[in-house]
Amino acid sequence: MTDIIISGNTKLADIVMQDPRALVLLPRFGIELGLGDRTVRQVCEDKNINTDFFMLMVNVFLNHKYFPDRRLKNVDIDMLLSYLENSHRYYLEEKIPYLENLIEEFKNKVEHPATIQLEKFFRQYIVEVREHLAYEDETAFPYVAALSQQIKKDSSHLADIDYHIGVFEERHDNIEEKLTDLKSLLVKYFPPSNDRYIRIRILRELMEFEDDLINHARIEDKVLIPIVEQLEKKIS
Amino acid sequence: MARTLIIAEPSEIIRKGLVHISESLGLFSSIKEVACSSMLHETIKKHNPQMVLLNPSFVNADGLLELKDLTRTTMMIAGIIYSLYDDDIVSMFDEVIMVGDTRQKIHRKIGGLLEKTPGKNRSKPSEPLSARELDVLKLLVKGLSNKEISEKLFISPHTVISHRKNITQKLNIKSVAGLTVYAILNELISMDDVQ
Repeated sequence: MTDIIISGNTKLADIVMQDPRALVLLPRFGIELGLGDRTVRQVCEDKNINTDFFMLMVNVFLNHKYFPDRRLKNVDIDMLLSYLENSHRYYLEEKIPYLENLIEEFKNKVEHPATIQLEKFFRQYIVEVREHLAYEDETAFPYVAALSQQIKKDSSHLADIDYHIGVFEERHDNIEEKLTDLKSLLVKYFPPSNDRYIRIRILRELMEFEDDLINHARIEDKVLIPIVEQLEKKIS
Repeated sequence: MARTLIIAEPSEIIRKGLVHISESLGLFSSIKEVACSSMLHETIKKHNPQMVLLNPSFVNADGLLELKDLTRTTMMIAGIIYSLYDDDIVSMFDEVIMVGDTRQKIHRKIGGLLEKTPGKNRSKPSEPLSARELDVLKLLVKGLSNKEISEKLFISPHTVISHRKNITQKLNIKSVAGLTVYAILNELISMDDVQ
């Protein structure tokens, strides 16, 4: 896959054609397919997206070695939050229900006591993912939004918010870890089953989801947390 | 952990120089030299090194993969490059050491490569579980805590934890829920035990 750093003058269609991982990013920015020959910059301008921010996300996503230190200062916190919230919505409304259906189908096709347990495992996992995302959506992100508001209004202190990003950092556990268990079970331990490719489809989905979650966590750890720490220093 | 480095390089000046620089790093318990490509396979098989610094003229691209197959554990290979070199060759290596690199730079590169070698925790991946590990697994998936398991099997909680670590490493499954599925698949427990 590509390990190039993408610039504003690259055609967005080229990026997507070369690396399908870029596909999941489009809806998070409200970008629709039918891209034509427009460059990243042109598409961003049309959609009112900050080009630097878009490129930062694309590069974090597609290039695992890319570490964004220089660009961090210019990231608009509200844009970042909206990106993260859109990602959550995609997981909850698209990815998880789809995986849930596939696993249910697998259970129905393969009659084995272990598939019942597998489904149970996955349902438990979904509950954990929902909790994880809900905590961010309901506690951590609103705090960051409030903080950014305060800064914009140039208030010198944070009124009545008993929270700091260190709490988030501490609580930030790896929700992708259990996906490894699922992968091992399906790749190594379930006996061969006549399931019409469902198992393969589940695995591909799991791997894509895992990759997505890892990148998502990288963005939170390497972009969100450092920025919020800077903001916190400004007002304290 | 005993670590071995092999330096395979025809030029004596460069070879001795790399030996000297690697020794000063203090990370290897032994450093072997190979001056001629015909001795390469034999030396690697004999010493099972964690790392090889290799002059690319000793092998072609396929040969590099062959070398990796010679050892029981993962072996990192860094190319020794004199000047400009074909990108395709450079990309075959885990790291590239330029003859013009400073001592510090070479230290950093070798140190970085060593960190990438999977240590003892991945050296025995697919061994079957031991009888004791199976005992722990069965109780674990029935919902017992570490403490309860330790009382039942007359072992210390610390030992239970280390068994659990080994189980996770061998199976590549960490959560109790995942291990439960494994246990049912292998008929270690029945569905009634879990419900």
